[in-house]
Amino acid sequence: MTKENVQGAAEEEQQAQSKKGLKKQQKEAEKAAKKAEKQAKLAAEQQEADEDDFAKDRYGICPMVQSQQKLDRALVRVQDLTPEKAEQQIWVRARIHTSRAKGKQCFLVLRHQQFTVQALLAVGERASKQMVKFAANLTKESIIDVEAVVKKVEQKIESCSQQDVELHVERIFVISQSEARLPLQLEDAVRPEGEGDEEGRATVNQDTRLDNRVIDLRTTTSQAIFRLQSGVCQLFRDTLINKGFVEIQTPKIISAASEGGANVFTVSYFKTSAYLAQSPQLYKQMCICADFDKVFCVGPVFRAEDSNTHRHLTEFVGLDIEMAFNYHYHEVIDSITDTMVQIFKGLRDRFQTEIQTVNKQYPSEPFKFLEPTLRLEYKEAVAMLKAAGVEMGDEEDLSTPNEKLLGRLVKEKYDTDFYVLDKYPLAVRPFYTMPDPNNPKYSNSYDMFMRGEEILSGAQRVHDAQLLTERAMHHNIDLEKIKAYIDSFRYGAPPHAGGGIGLERVTMLYLGLHNVRQTSMFPRDPKRLTP
Amino acid sequence: MPMYKVKPVSPGDIKIDLPACMYKSPNIHAQGMNCGDHALQNGGVDPALERLEGRQDEVLRRLYELKAAVDGITKTVTSPDADLDVSTGSRLPAESVFRGTADLDSLLGKDLGALRDVVINASPGRPPLSLLVLHALLCQRYQVLSSVHVHSSVSAVPPSLLSCLGPRHTDSYARQRFQLGFTLIWKDVSELQMKFNTQSMCPIEGEANVARFLFRLLGAGPQDPVAATQMDCWIDTAVFQLAEGGSKERAAVLRSLNAALGRSPWLLGQEFSLADIVCACCVLRAGQASSAPVNVQRWLKSCQNLGHFDCVYPLLQ
Repeated sequence: MTKENVQGAAEEEQQAQSKKGLKKQQKEAEKAAKKAEKQAKLAAEQQEADEDDFAKDRYGICPMVQSQQKLDRALVRVQDLTPEKAEQQIWVRARIHTSRAKGKQCFLVLRHQQFTVQALLAVGERASKQMVKFAANLTKESIIDVEAVVKKVEQKIESCSQQDVELHVERIFVISQSEARLPLQLEDAVRPEGEGDEEGRATVNQDTRLDNRVIDLRTTTSQAIFRLQSGVCQLFRDTLINKGFVEIQTPKIISAASEGGANVFTVSYFKTSAYLAQSPQLYKQMCICADFDKVFCVGPVFRAEDSNTHRHLTEFVGLDIEMAFNYHYHEVIDSITDTMVQIFKGLRDRFQTEIQTVNKQYPSEPFKFLEPTLRLEYKEAVAMLKAAGVEMGDEEDLSTPNEKLLGRLVKEKYDTDFYVLDKYPLAVRPFYTMPDPNNPKYSNSYDMFMRGEEILSGAQRVHDAQLLTERAMHHNIDLEKIKAYIDSFRYGAPPHAGGGIGLERVTMLYLGLHNVRQTSMFPRDPKRLTP
Repeated sequence: MPMYKVKPVSPGDIKIDLPACMYKSPNIHAQGMNCGDHALQNGGVDPALERLEGRQDEVLRRLYELKAAVDGITKTVTSPDADLDVSTGSRLPAESVFRGTADLDSLLGKDLGALRDVVINASPGRPPLSLLVLHALLCQRYQVLSSVHVHSSVSAVPPSLLSCLGPRHTDSYARQRFQLGFTLIWKDVSELQMKFNTQSMCPIEGEANVARFLFRLLGAGPQDPVAATQMDCWIDTAVFQLAEGGSKERAAVLRSLNAALGRSPWLLGQEFSLADIVCACCVLRAGQASSAPVNVQRWLKSCQNLGHFDCVYPLLQ
């Protein structure tokens, strides 16, 4: 290449550069001009806004509450907003359920737990246009503090729980803002399945609910279900304490599997391993041998069953009872069934609102029971099933479909959803079950059913160390592993019996729901470990 | 010329495995067995044959008896001397209430191992007094497991209704030892209802109908159709006119009761029957006992003396 060419090329480059440079400069100039224009516009708007906004201090986003000051302000709950408070100016903290702007007005529905109330913000001498716009743009589920005057309404507001009053907003501040896109809409979560299909509206399926449990639990139905569950637990405790029972807490990390080695979780325990308790069985019995006579305990139960059914969880809350009796284990059955009946009565009398709320989304028949509880014997059940056309052996265990059929037959004849089945065959029960004295093929054991599904399995326990050893050997259980258990019966043990129920299953069956995950706050099953 | 021979398809002696459900009968074509000659030679008769002949004789005898009975009835009906006056009751003796032969298996169906449980749903506002009397009668005849339950549709029931079937049987923990179950459930129902075998029977409604069912379990009602019809007539009168009628109807029924009881100690004649139970209970429940005519009061006193009505009086307050 000659120098001239190189020079020429460089010149061309320079020229090209300057052309490009020119173009670039032009573009930048345009951009700057646009930006300046925009800024000017904004500034103009801002000025306008600032000029007109006389309500600037009556709304806004509060700084995060880090306990900066201790305000002595009384916040009224939404459920207490009744016509009695008419014309009072009060503060309310609630969530935004919906917000809708209509011209110069903004309608908000504020929600706290199951209660909703309508709030109105209108452009006027107290509220500016900007304030109304701000209110209309608030995201759903944000928590806000509202100062408002309670006003009576002539026409009932059908869509809210507080139907006789409405709030006229004076001040509105955001305490905690929610993100704009919610993973699920609350009104979809409360919609009954059938309605969703008919009208083409969305319903939320179970996995989505469980993945976003925090939002799903805010729905009126979930609030009602778990309040009722809390009632079950409370009634259980109250009834048993009144009967003279003592509440105990049993260990959940144990050295040997109690119900058989198959379905137990192993945890590493320093240099060895231990197991998570499948039931408080062994410890309840030890308490009886320790002269506590009547004990109950409420605590988690861990079952490593790989069952993906509608009624199995790997972790659930067990309500267990154990009682020493005088001469016949029916004394214990009577005590347990009376406790269950008291629980049902308490729920029927004190939780009707919750039951109705759940029924709106999940309709079902009300739960029926008899007092005293109906008790049938296993042989009778087999005869009833055979009469209905089922083929089964006399000593066969009841399969799940047979249990459901039996439940329907009992419901038809006696009109009860709750009954006890007594005297199960010995072969299908665990090794610590006491055999029937009159017939060695049967045992002193019983199951209780709600709506045709089993909720409790119990029996008179073998309280004699020798008989217990024989029964364990008969079931091919390693005696070394249960040595401590057998030892507890060697120093005088009273005859005793008991049983345990699952809190989630009882709530599910009482309300007529179909999946136990609906009654477990953060359910655990073989496929789910979070939240 | 040799004939066409077919080779045998199957070998001559095949071992056949006979199934266990078949039974073997002796081969009558085998040599050396001649049953008839054998027996006749000995002069005796084959015992099976004897039994068969005996059964045949028995059947023939019963047929003759039946024929004689039918002949007797035809004579009484067709002969010009027999003047059957229906209003004074039939001539054939009526079976006594307590001496009937009833078999629960034949009345209620074979026992498959389940306790035969009669379930009665009654409203606590209208206790079925006649059924309580029948329960007392049933307890005398059979081993009855009685229980009273309160259904969840009713919130509370007075203690007298909870103990109306008497004290709990000491053996009530062993359901298998009883022949019959009597379960009374106090429930919010508009009409009294009885369920027995839901697979093969529809529920029976109405106190009178349930009373008729339970009475049949006692194994005796009047056997002849005339008396049975009269009994049904009295029961219907009691249930429709005495219990549900106006004061005029009630007065009329009391008058006819009085008239009938003037002629005989019990409504159907000499024997106590379901008609007496139901009518007495209706009179007692209507509160007319003290203002009833003379014969009716005497009859109520006789009912009380029988002892079966003791369970009813505590419920009348």
